[in-house]
Amino acid sequence: MIEVREISKTFHDSKRGTHSAVDRVSFEVHAGEVFGLLGPNGAGKTTTLRLLATLLKPTSGTAVLNGCDVNTAPAKVRAQIGFLSGDMGLYARLTPLEILDFFGRLNGIEAQRRAKRISELMTLLDMHEFAGVRTDKLSTGMKQKTAIARTMLHDPPILILDEPSSGLDVPTARTIESAIMEAKRSGKCIIYSTHVMEEAEYLCDRIGVIDGGRLKTTGTMQQLRDATGKHRLREIFLDLLGLPPDK
Amino acid sequence: MRFPIFQAIYKKEMIDLLRDRRTLISMVVVPLLVFPLLFRVAIALSSRIEEQSEAEARTLGIAARVSTPSLREALAKTGYPVFERPDLSSAVEKKSVAAAVEEIPGNPPTVQIYVDSSNPTSGAAADRVRLMLDVLKEQRIRESLRDSGVPLNVLTPFTVKRTNVAGARKMAGSVWGSMLGYLLLLLMFTGGMYPVIDMTAGEKERKTLEAFLASPATRQEIVVGKTLAAMTAIFLTAMLTLGSMVYWLKNTRLSSRSEELKHMMDTIPLDAGTIAMIAAILIPVSIFAASLMFTIALFARSFKEGQSYLTPLVLLVIFPALMGGLPGFGLTPALCLIPIFNASMMVRSVLLGDASMLNFGVTLAANLVYAGIAAVIATRMFERENVLFRT
Repeated sequence: MIEVREISKTFHDSKRGTHSAVDRVSFEVHAGEVFGLLGPNGAGKTTTLRLLATLLKPTSGTAVLNGCDVNTAPAKVRAQIGFLSGDMGLYARLTPLEILDFFGRLNGIEAQRRAKRISELMTLLDMHEFAGVRTDKLSTGMKQKTAIARTMLHDPPILILDEPSSGLDVPTARTIESAIMEAKRSGKCIIYSTHVMEEAEYLCDRIGVIDGGRLKTTGTMQQLRDATGKHRLREIFLDLLGLPPDK
Repeated sequence: MRFPIFQAIYKKEMIDLLRDRRTLISMVVVPLLVFPLLFRVAIALSSRIEEQSEAEARTLGIAARVSTPSLREALAKTGYPVFERPDLSSAVEKKSVAAAVEEIPGNPPTVQIYVDSSNPTSGAAADRVRLMLDVLKEQRIRESLRDSGVPLNVLTPFTVKRTNVAGARKMAGSVWGSMLGYLLLLLMFTGGMYPVIDMTAGEKERKTLEAFLASPATRQEIVVGKTLAAMTAIFLTAMLTLGSMVYWLKNTRLSSRSEELKHMMDTIPLDAGTIAMIAAILIPVSIFAASLMFTIALFARSFKEGQSYLTPLVLLVIFPALMGGLPGFGLTPALCLIPIFNASMMVRSVLLGDASMLNFGVTLAANLVYAGIAAVIATRMFERENVLFRT
């Protein structure tokens, strides 16, 4: 469902000069699979996900999402994906209902079907109570539910989640985890980045570790354990980055 | 370009803008309340200063050192109390009297008026003294001529009469045309500043841009939806300014000394046709302003940064907008090509009633071309990653 082929992204900056954020990264993610992208800050996780979401254009290489190429059919790619970041990116002066209606229109969902889908999601995520309240008046959990509903609204086959649980408390982070598991069960292809090792260990079918723009390794938890001789993901992660283990 | 998509973007931007306090203040409150109130306060203040100066002059009185009885009589006719002071100049300077008069002997004698021109009270008193002395002077001349048997009409061998063919409407157009175009353009740019920053740098700052860009809407559709919303805000600001200015100018009570101004206010040539022509001039300017400000604000990472980028542009607009309202420039098709200046000048011409269709057409076409170029640049900039994801 996602096929990333030798994708690279180079930035030119007057201060830093030429900087390679992603360097010939390749991997695949299949339907019904959760692929976790792990790496330290500045490793290239967000840039990779932005490349897949067509927010950035690759310097070289490509990625094909559900048969659509990010270089040649970016608009079609965007119709196949649901994108969620830790910042949530909600319009503070709009209500959840208005936000969902807006994104439904952008995704070309016809009015009657849009209203039905919004109602379904609101019931699923228990949002009816605050559907008409301005987003800046909502709690973090309510906002996160709205962001998830926005991501799932057009029922995309692919979900791209950039640190979706960053800065959230445990109950709210659990809402995200439940949504990811539910999406996985319904056969969606999910790629997400996180700094929370326990979360990745629990949710991911396969994990990729990226550092300095290069993909160090990919594999299932068992494959990573076999390759490193470590048990916990945190230990595996530190080992792959060449960092000393915890004392 | 898909109509339902940019319609959705336009609707969302308008809801977002109309719920933003800063935008509402710059777009609605300033044109509807603050500006007219300031104008009204300024007029009321100037009328009050006039009245106060007059009253103060009557209380302070004038100092005089005159020996001729007729001069004393003339000074008494001013209605001001007349005092004696050893140092006339110093008395005026120290404000113990409003003005002073000294008769200096000679052939003919000189009447010296001491006035402090920096003080409105002193100015008002000196003017009144001068008026009474002029009346006395003319009376003396007439008496002398009569005593010598010379007919009085020797004083007026011919009469000079000046007829203003402009008429009240044109005169009003000339006065208001000088300032209306300038004010409209200035408030359009200041009114558009907040909405444009909010939908560009504001979206970046609030981190809402990524989810938006990851939707199936194309960059072009996003730019069109956003700039149309900004253009609406800018055009609304202009129309609200125009409406409120007409209302306040026609309904502001003025002192009797401002009769000429009042007459001019009553004849402001703003009928439906004139307003429609001004609106037609301002629509392409609104698109131009929206696209230009959109492009500049895109480079900002935060609302604050956006303000510091756009403020110089607003200051830059002042000069051509002001120049366009000044009398003396004959509007030519070549001058109609200068952006902002052309709109300001065309507003003046429309108010004066002397706008030619050629100049109107050239102004409209030129501004539409500039608006188109600015919109293309805005779209190009919105496609640049280093602009959108500037860190």
